[in-house]
Amino acid sequence: MKTAQAGTLESMDCLVTAGEAEKGRGISITMEGASVARFGEAILKTAKETLREIGVKDIKLSIQDNGATDLVLKARVEAAALRLLGGDRR
Amino acid sequence: MRLRRTKLYLPGNNPNMLLRGYLFKPDGVILDLEDAVSMSEKDAARILVREVLKQGEFGECEVTVRINGMDTEFWRKDIETVVPCGIDGIRVPKVESPKDMQILDEALSEIEEKAGIPVGKTLIFCLLETALGIWRAYDIATASPRIAGICPGGEDLRADLKTDRSETGEELVGPRRIVVLAAHAAKVDALDTVYADVTDDEGLKRETQWIKQLGYQGKSVIHPNQIPIIHAVFAPTQKEIEQAKKIVAAAREAAKKGLGAVSVDGRMVDKPVVKRAEYTLQRAGLLEGGE
Repeated sequence: MKTAQAGTLESMDCLVTAGEAEKGRGISITMEGASVARFGEAILKTAKETLREIGVKDIKLSIQDNGATDLVLKARVEAAALRLLGGDRR
Repeated sequence: MRLRRTKLYLPGNNPNMLLRGYLFKPDGVILDLEDAVSMSEKDAARILVREVLKQGEFGECEVTVRINGMDTEFWRKDIETVVPCGIDGIRVPKVESPKDMQILDEALSEIEEKAGIPVGKTLIFCLLETALGIWRAYDIATASPRIAGICPGGEDLRADLKTDRSETGEELVGPRRIVVLAAHAAKVDALDTVYADVTDDEGLKRETQWIKQLGYQGKSVIHPNQIPIIHAVFAPTQKEIEQAKKIVAAAREAAKKGLGAVSVDGRMVDKPVVKRAEYTLQRAGLLEGGE
């Protein structure tokens, strides 16, 4: 499976790995990190919103969080998705 | 006159620094898309910097972005991404040609117009990092009304001059003098390059005293610890502050009475001296920053 990554595991960052999903399979997201128990829902929401903004419907995401704020998460999801799928969707 | 004593470089792909850099209270921050970002991370850094600009906090800092050089494929995409966020300015590396500054000016105008930002708002700061750039400093500084400051390079300039770093910095004496002369002739700020040894506080202090004496308005910094040292050097003395207070008060009094001329201690004071006094009070933190 083709994958692409963006971000790091440094403090206040997250590492997002994007993998191809078949058309119509939708978005699937897995999360890891100390903050997931408390902020998992918020992370999920931000990731999905970001994908919607750039028009991505089918993708697999794995998010390893190390205290990324909302805006950092958004930037890393976008960068990983664009690296996987190519182009600038904005 | 805006204070530009310190401008802190923040690596463009490092969320921690990008989000916290302003907390160290430099006069400005430079979100860096150029040297601090590896070739393979240019895309991710650009997206991260855009989000930080849109949603991040910067306090009172002047916010600039160092874009990639105009000899690379990245610069246009860089400005298209960051300028609509409403930044104060961009810092351009390795400037050698006044013509390039005109091209950049036009590109910025187009982007500003599309984004609904007043045309001309985004300032340009030029890094002169080659012998040719230094030689053309005045022509570059006057190539666009957006240009607000010019800065001599450090390591790149040494390499181009076919020399290397010495303890005294002798190799950059000439370029620094040319840049400060060109900057003031062009009525833009002269801003000095970084002091690379972040552990040598005495060396930083000495260099800052020297460039201040030459006529520089400030210096780029690469470590937060360098900020208070530079601010202390640029802080005016008590005597300078008292004199400046008198001049500014007299100027305000004269303006109130509709008088053109200002007299302080029996001597006429003209407009540049009043401006200088206001600048002194700004540096002392006694007057709100201007333009």
